[in-house]
Amino acid sequence: MNRQWLAAISLAPLLGATQTLAQASAIALLSLLIIGLHRLCMTPLHKVLDASASLIASVLLAALLVTCLELALRAWALPLSLALGPYSALIAVQCLVFEFAQGASGRWRTAAATLGGFALLCMAMGLFRQGLGEFANLRLASLLPGALILLGLMLALYNRVCRRPAPTRRQGKR
Amino acid sequence: MNTTSIRSTALLLALAVLAVGGTVLWHQLTAQRITDAEQQLKTQRWLSVLPEQHYDNQPLQHPLRLGAAPLDHSRLLAGYLATLQGQPRAVVLHSQAQGYGGPLDLLIAIDDSGRLIGVKVLQQQETPGLGGKLVEPGNTWLQGFVGSSRHTIADTAWALKRDSGQFDQLAGATVTSRAVIQATHDALRYFDEHRQQLLTGGANE
Repeated sequence: MNRQWLAAISLAPLLGATQTLAQASAIALLSLLIIGLHRLCMTPLHKVLDASASLIASVLLAALLVTCLELALRAWALPLSLALGPYSALIAVQCLVFEFAQGASGRWRTAAATLGGFALLCMAMGLFRQGLGEFANLRLASLLPGALILLGLMLALYNRVCRRPAPTRRQGKR
Repeated sequence: MNTTSIRSTALLLALAVLAVGGTVLWHQLTAQRITDAEQQLKTQRWLSVLPEQHYDNQPLQHPLRLGAAPLDHSRLLAGYLATLQGQPRAVVLHSQAQGYGGPLDLLIAIDDSGRLIGVKVLQQQETPGLGGKLVEPGNTWLQGFVGSSRHTIADTAWALKRDSGQFDQLAGATVTSRAVIQATHDALRYFDEHRQQLLTGGANE
């Protein structure tokens, strides 16, 4: 169930903050940075804190990291900060859900794979949306509904190319 | 068990103090920088309406006092004086009109002879793809007004072609186009009527 939550939460920046490649790369890298830092700080804390205390610690830490990030963005990259809007602050929620989706066992390899996949998907979305919007002059691609359609198309392509077809008997009686 | 919970609480408290302290400290460190960046961005956006050869002062430091006279289709929120070598050369008017989706904020630059030298949309809530085309990069509709004035175009011709004026409209965005034209015309007329006061910095008001 937690993995679905993670997917749902990641959908917000994936659709909302990927109008251009630059913006998409920024949100991807910032998410990687903050989630990585959060995890790095939480790993030792998990060992010394009990479950409820580590939840509170996790929230505190996420809030601290994201507030500092927001302030830094506004100070040194104001146009980017305005373009990202609320999505940079949403990274805090992503941090928390990511932590509980991964569990406290601390498998860095799966965590890195999930984060890397998210970042790559963000950049691909940014590339396609900017390309379609500017060169193919397809305005829908730069709007939110267009982003959702594009994401669906990419998922379909992935399933077609990389997945084995599901056995037909699972689809009910024939 | 008891010592664990005490240790947990102590650690949590320390973390909370650290988080609040860190945030406050970081805010203190960046506050000045954020103000500067906001100011710089505002200046950059507002002055992009003025061609560079028309001023050498800091127009945003020279606000004009505008009379309270209401205009026909829009209202003026602010005005700034641009000077070149000490001589008043242009004014920048911040005008707000009613667009299709909400208020439409325009910056209108007028030179000392009453000629329009720049129009720019500051804020809008128009329909993306229709009225929103105004702010799309590469849209040249707004540039079509530059260079015109009330001396070259009669007052009755300051309207869309469908309102028997002489300007084309943005396709599918009649309300937005009409709002822009009327606000621009209002601003030009206001300038012509208050030219002396505006160019002397509003000292006579």
